[in-house]
Amino acid sequence: MSHAETMVGAPVQVRGAFGRLLRSELRLQLGRRRNLVLLAGLAAVPLLLGLVLFLTRDTDLAGQGPGFVGKVTENGIFLVVASIFVCLPFLLPLTIGIASGDAVAGEASAGTLRYLLVVPVARTRLLVVKALAALAFAGSAVLAIAVVGLVAGAAFFGLHDVVLLSGDTVPLGVGAVRIAGVVAYVALSMTGLVAVGLFYSTLTEVPVGAMAATVVTAIVSGVLDTLPALSAIHPWLLTHHWLDFAEFLRIEPDWQVVAGGLGVQAAWVAVFSALAWARFTTADVSS
Amino acid sequence: MTETSPLPPSPRRTLSARARWAFPAVVAVGVGAAFAAPPLLASADSSGLPPVTPEELVAAVAAAQPQALSGTVVYTARLGLPSLPFGPETADPVNLLDGSSTLRVWTDGGERSRVSLLGDMSEFSVVHDGPEVWTYASSDDAVVHYTVSDADRARYESLKDDAAAGQVPGGADLPTPTEAAQQVLDQAEQLSHVSLDAESTVAGRGAYQLVVTPKTPGTLVARVVVAIDAQTQTPLRVQVWSTQDAQTPALEVGFTDVTFATPSDSVLAFSAPAGATTTEKVVTLPTDEQIAADHAAGADGELPEGVTVSGTGWATVVQATGVDVPGLVAGDPSALAAVPSGHPTIGSESAQGLLDQFGPQDGAGPASKFQGLDPAALYDSLTTKVPEGHLISSALLSVLITDDGRVLAGAVPAATLQAMA
Amino acid sequence: MSTGVLDPARVGQGSGDDTGPLAVRTDGLTKRFRSGQVAVDDLALRVPRGAVYGFLGPNGSGKTTTIRMLLGLVRPTGGQAWLLDQPMPDAGAAVLPRVGALVEGPAFHPYLSGRANLDRLAAVDATADPRTAARRRDEALERVGLGAAAEKRFRQYSLGMKQRLGLAAALLQPRELLVLDEPTNGLDPQGTREVRHLVRELADAGTTVLVSSHLLAEIEQVCTHVGIMSRGHLVLQGARSVLAERGQARVSVTTTTGHVGAAARVLRGLGLEEPVVDGLRLDAPVDGLAPEDVSAALVRADVPVVGFEVRRPSLEQVFVELTGEGFDVAR
Repeated sequence: MSHAETMVGAPVQVRGAFGRLLRSELRLQLGRRRNLVLLAGLAAVPLLLGLVLFLTRDTDLAGQGPGFVGKVTENGIFLVVASIFVCLPFLLPLTIGIASGDAVAGEASAGTLRYLLVVPVARTRLLVVKALAALAFAGSAVLAIAVVGLVAGAAFFGLHDVVLLSGDTVPLGVGAVRIAGVVAYVALSMTGLVAVGLFYSTLTEVPVGAMAATVVTAIVSGVLDTLPALSAIHPWLLTHHWLDFAEFLRIEPDWQVVAGGLGVQAAWVAVFSALAWARFTTADVSS
Repeated sequence: MTETSPLPPSPRRTLSARARWAFPAVVAVGVGAAFAAPPLLASADSSGLPPVTPEELVAAVAAAQPQALSGTVVYTARLGLPSLPFGPETADPVNLLDGSSTLRVWTDGGERSRVSLLGDMSEFSVVHDGPEVWTYASSDDAVVHYTVSDADRARYESLKDDAAAGQVPGGADLPTPTEAAQQVLDQAEQLSHVSLDAESTVAGRGAYQLVVTPKTPGTLVARVVVAIDAQTQTPLRVQVWSTQDAQTPALEVGFTDVTFATPSDSVLAFSAPAGATTTEKVVTLPTDEQIAADHAAGADGELPEGVTVSGTGWATVVQATGVDVPGLVAGDPSALAAVPSGHPTIGSESAQGLLDQFGPQDGAGPASKFQGLDPAALYDSLTTKVPEGHLISSALLSVLITDDGRVLAGAVPAATLQAMA
Repeated sequence: MSTGVLDPARVGQGSGDDTGPLAVRTDGLTKRFRSGQVAVDDLALRVPRGAVYGFLGPNGSGKTTTIRMLLGLVRPTGGQAWLLDQPMPDAGAAVLPRVGALVEGPAFHPYLSGRANLDRLAAVDATADPRTAARRRDEALERVGLGAAAEKRFRQYSLGMKQRLGLAAALLQPRELLVLDEPTNGLDPQGTREVRHLVRELADAGTTVLVSSHLLAEIEQVCTHVGIMSRGHLVLQGARSVLAERGQARVSVTTTTGHVGAAARVLRGLGLEEPVVDGLRLDAPVDGLAPEDVSAALVRADVPVVGFEVRRPSLEQVFVELTGEGFDVAR
């Protein structure tokens, strides 16, 4: 009996296939040298910021700086917030733009996309896994800043009870929970950008193009947010609510503000995920 | 782990490309609907309030018990001032001059309250706690603590049941609908026509709208619209319309969100954080004689030396002489000392309120903002040169600074001031 | 015309002309790009099960686009395609696990080793048993001769090694159909021989192989069936032996001095065309006549036969005859 004739009927799907696919993708993305370098670059920000503030703490420059930078010398835990604040306008969108813009376009340009599809991996499933991996990377990026910021802040300046924006002081434990809220909010605020990047990534076989378009989208959104003439569309902009993480440091966080910011992100995620899905499941793979 | 499931024997017919592209369109419509629906639903139940007359409403507001509440207030000024050369990111009262600001308000309805002006990464808070007031600016970690002297403390206790109690140590107020409405309604009957507009919804609550129209035509104020919560008679929104713009109110302060419940104690308490720079200020309470004199002279009170008032009500003009304008512009502190009184008083309480809100907090706020800028150039860019001197003209307020050191201000057209100068 | 030849003009509409079960079938398959260019036009492919189907044509003739449509990578703008009797692309999830493919050259993650790249493909295959993944991966690597280079990064592979890794990926699972697009590209003659050997071995085991090439000579020997593409059209397809007979065979007889006239008479007597005489050699087409009948007739007529040769045209000559176009002459 020949080999081929022994295989009758449809192949069966082994249980746990999605988990294996996801693990493989996460290992690929988070183990990739380029992505590790990006994470290391972000993690260097709190180190450098902490070092600079530590060296200038007794000079006239002490206590200066926007956002929370001026508070870091009093309480190391603010190095987490200050670093996120510093990275938010450009470095974080850049890193996330690179990872999410590369998600599909990178495989397309390497030619590996066609081999994934003929394995076969269903396109919808592949897109979901790519999105999850990009989200995981975005989360890792924010977390890298936060963890290094916390460790460096504690080492340079020590951790103390947290003074909120309203001038009220809360115990360190409560303050740490609030700063964890800041980190979580910022991480979730990146989801819209990830979805935008994923969509761009399905449009092209040139990953650099998708990365650049993603970063430019974040920057343009930031610029539009500063134009008073466009105030009517400001609440809908991708980046408009990013700084609302400050809500976690007010005396009574207004959960409507937090939910509003996350709701806008959810809207961007819904629209651009749908666009990415429509594009990716109808596109001809000719690379 | 080896359990397997067979794939469907006959594959589903996959969707056409057209059907797939319809999906994002549907999602976009759904998202749009999800964001548009809540405001539409909220505005659906704004009618059906029991009918009242304007007079009954004014009386009801005056008689209403102060409510314990917390909420978010949005304050918008479209005064048409030249734009200031610093951004709106930081919570600083000077930003109330133009644009939109968000405030959080908590009050127990009595002598404890907190109002916070929100910036992107900062807050300016004013906490009233009985005879003590704290202000805290997070941008420079500065606390100002106002107290009454030990001698006055007993007097405060006896005064606090008085109507004016809440405002005793004053000097650092942020605008809230309640206060703004109070100032308008106090003057309503004497100098204005009062009428009712259609019922409205403010912060999701059904509200009556009281329209206060100045009797005099000589003012920049066209009308003031006060939205009053139908249940608690609490003013929810005040809009001041200028005669110069019929489309949008020149000044608007209103709740976008309000909850009538006593805030938690931690919000109403304040203690200066470690490491902050604290300035102590002792406020002297007015004596009985002064209060009596105030009542006798109406709202005008006793005028400081060098200040004269002309006109009445909405069209009042205040004139101050002997102001060293070049010295002030150059940032000379001694020039500031020459300015008569910390708080110029204007006949119209609404105009007074505006000045209070815009006024610098003891020279701190705006002055520090100007550091690093050329004050003379800034002065020139903010004012218009006229034959009589320099003019600041806005939708609700005109200020004329003459070259011989007089300052004229009022909620009147600029031409009125120029004619007086 | 021989019955074994599937003339696209006759079978194009998917009539009952198919001989036995098919591994690949397309009807009217067409791809028109958005630019308006028609890459594949009304294609009626018939690949019988068990065949080694040589899919031939010059570069740019539409072979790769056809293969991409078969595998569900590109959506046809017209017509239908079936792999192993299931419609594509709708049944891709059920069919593609039974199909190994090498499409337009190998492509892997350059920073991963050959082994890691195969592990990645095994991990994403929903139908592959993870418990046997390591064994299957090692077998595939050995089979293509990459066992020793498994740990090297793909980036460091030579072109030939990359091609082999592509083949290994196609062989990760037992397959019913292999679609190999230009599998000998970049291989040296030894590597090309190995690929041919591999294809033959797989075919002997019952796997259907669809192998495309722009170099006829490299795969002609292993093919049982051939399809020839030209400018988006399938100009010819059928069993190789039948196709080869499609061109006229000629017989060439060399005799001794004095017997040329007799030989010519015998050939004429068999009804052949007037032979071309060149010295002692006579040359004539053998329409519908078995060559052994010609030789027997010559022997019966006592014509001394010094040399006897039957020449059949090569596929390439057939192709040139049909299309007036040669294969990639640059090679």
